[in-house]
Amino acid sequence: MNPTYGKNLNDRAADAVIVLLSVLVFLIIAYPLYFVIIASVSDSTLVSTGQVTLYPKNISFFGYKEIFHDSRIWTGYKNTLIYTLLGTLVNLLFTLPAAYVLSRHEFRARRVIMFLFVVTLFFSGGLIPTYLLMKDLHLTNSMWVFILPFSVNVYNLIIARSFFEHSLPKELYEAASMDGCSHFTFFVKVALPLSKAVVSVIALYYLVAHWNDFFTGLIYIRSNDLQPLQIVLRDILLSNQVFSQGAGAGGAAGGYAQQYADQVKYAVIIVSTLPILIVYPFIQKYFEKGVMIGSVKG
Amino acid sequence: MKKWLSAGLVLCLSTAILSACGGGNLENDSAASSTGSSGSTAASGKVKLTAIITKHPLTQELSKMKWLQEAEERAGVEIEWQEVTADWDQKKGALLAGGDVPDLIVGPNAITDADYAQFPGLFQDLSELIQKDAPNVQAMFTAKPETKVIATQTDGKIYGLPKYQRFWPETTTRQFINQKWLDNLGLTMPTTWDELYNVLVAFKDKDANGNGDANDEIPMDFAPTGTVAFGAFMPTVLLGSEGITLTDNSGFGYFVEDGKVKNFFSDERYKELVEFLNKCYSAGLINPEVFTQDYTKYQSVARGSGDTAKVGFTWGWEVTDRFGNTLAPQYTSMSPLKVSADSTAKLSWSYDYNSLNYGVNMVTMSAKSKHKDEAMKFINELYDPKVSMQVLFGSMDTNIKDNGDGSYSILPPSDTAMDPGTWKWTSTWADNGPMYISDDLKLTLGTDMQSVGKQTEPLKAALDSINKDTEVLPSMFIKYTSADNSTMALNNTNLMSLALAKWSQWITKGGIDKEWDGYVKDIQRTGVEQNIEIMQKYYDDYKSKQ
Amino acid sequence: MVPESKHSEAPLVLKARKETVLNTFRRDYQLWLMILPAIIVIFIFNYIPMYGIQLAFRDYDFTKGLTGGAWRGFDYFKQFFDSYMFGDLMKNTVVISLTTILLSFPAPIILALLINQLRWKRAKKALQTTVYLPHFISIVVMVGLLNVLLSPNSGIIGHLLTSMGLGDVNLLGSTKTFVPVYVISDIWQHCGWNSIIYLAALSTVDPQLYDSAKMDGASRWQTIRYVDLPAIVPTIIILFVLSMGNVLSTGFEKVFLMQNPLNLPVSEVIATYVYKIGIISNQFSYSAAIGLFNTVINFIFLYAMNAFTRKSSDISLW
Repeated sequence: MNPTYGKNLNDRAADAVIVLLSVLVFLIIAYPLYFVIIASVSDSTLVSTGQVTLYPKNISFFGYKEIFHDSRIWTGYKNTLIYTLLGTLVNLLFTLPAAYVLSRHEFRARRVIMFLFVVTLFFSGGLIPTYLLMKDLHLTNSMWVFILPFSVNVYNLIIARSFFEHSLPKELYEAASMDGCSHFTFFVKVALPLSKAVVSVIALYYLVAHWNDFFTGLIYIRSNDLQPLQIVLRDILLSNQVFSQGAGAGGAAGGYAQQYADQVKYAVIIVSTLPILIVYPFIQKYFEKGVMIGSVKG
Repeated sequence: MKKWLSAGLVLCLSTAILSACGGGNLENDSAASSTGSSGSTAASGKVKLTAIITKHPLTQELSKMKWLQEAEERAGVEIEWQEVTADWDQKKGALLAGGDVPDLIVGPNAITDADYAQFPGLFQDLSELIQKDAPNVQAMFTAKPETKVIATQTDGKIYGLPKYQRFWPETTTRQFINQKWLDNLGLTMPTTWDELYNVLVAFKDKDANGNGDANDEIPMDFAPTGTVAFGAFMPTVLLGSEGITLTDNSGFGYFVEDGKVKNFFSDERYKELVEFLNKCYSAGLINPEVFTQDYTKYQSVARGSGDTAKVGFTWGWEVTDRFGNTLAPQYTSMSPLKVSADSTAKLSWSYDYNSLNYGVNMVTMSAKSKHKDEAMKFINELYDPKVSMQVLFGSMDTNIKDNGDGSYSILPPSDTAMDPGTWKWTSTWADNGPMYISDDLKLTLGTDMQSVGKQTEPLKAALDSINKDTEVLPSMFIKYTSADNSTMALNNTNLMSLALAKWSQWITKGGIDKEWDGYVKDIQRTGVEQNIEIMQKYYDDYKSKQ
Repeated sequence: MVPESKHSEAPLVLKARKETVLNTFRRDYQLWLMILPAIIVIFIFNYIPMYGIQLAFRDYDFTKGLTGGAWRGFDYFKQFFDSYMFGDLMKNTVVISLTTILLSFPAPIILALLINQLRWKRAKKALQTTVYLPHFISIVVMVGLLNVLLSPNSGIIGHLLTSMGLGDVNLLGSTKTFVPVYVISDIWQHCGWNSIIYLAALSTVDPQLYDSAKMDGASRWQTIRYVDLPAIVPTIIILFVLSMGNVLSTGFEKVFLMQNPLNLPVSEVIATYVYKIGIISNQFSYSAAIGLFNTVINFIFLYAMNAFTRKSSDISLW
């Protein structure tokens, strides 16, 4: 991509170091991931006694069977998909305009509001009053509890604001407003297109947060029909942990299930991560160098 | 992306509409889905109840349990079950504080005595309902008066009903040694700690499993201690060699001796045990991962590879559960060990009968329930001895056989690859359900329970010699006030954080002799004396009422 | 309205009176409209339940509601400060969280700069995707992985260390290795994920800058130092200020699952202690007090750091 590639010795050495480092990082990260994959189809006893290292042994798909055997899993997938997409949309609608506003220095209330927002990162009333509030708003046991409450994550808001503040050239709005551009139009037509990178990062943050959220389901949802995927998977996953309480806790729970328990554990990770893995490349493309300049011209 | 963003913005501009969602729209959604204690009548004319059950994750869906359908049918109710398998405590906190209790809550201690005290008015005092609607519960209270003691709170009210499952052994922990290894090496069964030490050394130095590798034997292994409390399958059972009778594993170290409540963490005999274990550990006789492995690994390691055993001496529930079907025949269950040949201490063992056969607060009713009589009638069904049997082992015909002469036998799993334990947990509520297995029920147990019984025999003499009146801490039958409970919990947390760290440190690195005196002083500072005082008071009170 | 905002946008010349929220309201009403949804949501879901903070100063009395219990003032705080464990808990918590902050913070920055320097596009994408994956491993499985891989008897990393002559150390059960294992595994798991934001920031660098750096004969290192780094400095500062708000926070679940009696002297932290005292009896007020104490300390640190960066770099949260 760069015509001057490999021109001088120094650069070549630098490249070598960079490639070497990258390979190293890749291996360190990739091996345990690979291990999760092979462990999800190998005999758990062999896995936990360290006999599975490079390739799977005594292959069986019990873990996956166990997961997909659970009828709730499909409802879970469907629910999570809805909550994630709708939730992320609401998140962005609430967060991005607010972040833009807070990045405008002429907005006088900016510091006070920002401070009051940051406070909520730390101080909270705790679970009980929050639960009572949700109950009063009739949000418990409803899909909206996944979408509306906490639809502005202050952490994400701060990141987006900081981006708007530092990567949008200050003169841009002045120039635009001379042309009779209002804040609404400026935000939609100029600020957002110029900030694709951060918008996609924030979208990804929200997306993943919704995808991984099991706490909301745990606390506020009663009906099985509304439970998200993570609750179902967590239930399955924890069947593994039961054994750690010792068989005596309630009479022998039996070695049969235990033999495969670990498989379930690893398979759960794969089942829950694959879909989100697919999203990443779509977001990644907005990180390409020069995205911003390109969009100004285009 | 651009498109939906700008489409989104249109929505955003109409903020008013969106934020209105927060108040208005949602009422429609929740009206349809709100459950709580709102009783209603089903189309079939049966009374509709709501319930939560905390079940074992292996347990199948409740709708597939034949016995349960029949019980609901007989009680004239139709129950909408919410089945919880994980994170109940977190869920419970919000549920109770919000006052959102369903008609019934089923599960082992799902609602605790502390909850009853903390949330007055949420739960129904069952005393009158039992008189009115529940002859089976009355029968249990009459035949087993201790069940009534378990159920009765300090203020005399009954919020949760107990279980009695009769068939479980007197202890959770059995002691196993690899007989084949002993035979391979021409050794005799050890009877004292010293002999055990020598046997373990031989296991380590020689190729005991005969696979050609003299270094792959793990002479001794025990369950991971964790950081909260001691549990089953841990070497604390060896305190029995020194005359200490643990009760229900004595997780926090409390035991009773001659009617006095004590704590073994500052007892000289505990010191002696730690010294012995340190001697073993230093000689490489204990699995070096014993404190860092998790329970799954503890179990996996003992399963060896193929027909080669890896572990020589260990503790567990039952031999096939512990070593797997292939290796189980190599192991034999052992009697308690003496400290040394000339030791005069009376041999004892962990006495867990109460916690294995009784359970507190197995079922609780909401005070706001609109159909209390019907709910109680359903509970009554569960305590019918014949139903209770099915609660524990599974439905008639699939899990239990009616022999036709008034006796019953447990059927083996329909899937032959499955062990009876898993089969039971998969089929039914099993030990998590409320039940009364009456003493005159004629029932032949499954192979797993039979072998548990057989493997307990070597411990029988020691267990029989325990004086249940002066050496057993009757925790199951004592109710503490919530203030005392809370004080004890705080003190125990401090105690265990110190004691368990020292326990593992001394076993792996030694140094107990030097640090002991300072440690004993630290133990006092954690508030253990205060706890002993509280427990003694309740214990004496319990005794005086007997 | 358009000409109006045009006027007020040139205030440098006409700065007759000080701008206040009130007198700029008409000019900025669009901005107010845009931020209104966020304000409403935060007010309802974050501020309304805040009355619950009182619980730290009161007994919990279910029949009288959250705010009805007897007033206890700072009793529960005192109980915590006087507790036998207080010193150890504070020390362990601070050690774990500070090490995590100091080591995990720079890692994603370095990783992002590295990835950004990779010229081979496909390798870059592959690496980027791989490093972000560990983030999705749940804590239970993460600790399970650590147990399997670090086991001195059977783990691959355990074997590796033994072959390097560092054997005999049980990485899972030593007071010396608990913090390193905790922090390094944390970096392993979240470094890639956390680098995403920096990669996004790097994408805003004008490619012309690279070209001109090249023309000036800048080395790779110099390009990183003078072109890449300045582009992400604002993000770095903001995130660093935010991370200061975590001085007394440790992830509960991971610490708890990694605990064993051998590392307990360094692994018992505030979060695990609160969990343990709650197991037997409900300690609503006590745990609320401990939680509030944590929050206040964290907030003070964030506040101080924010004041500092505000002065020194003009970048701040508010």
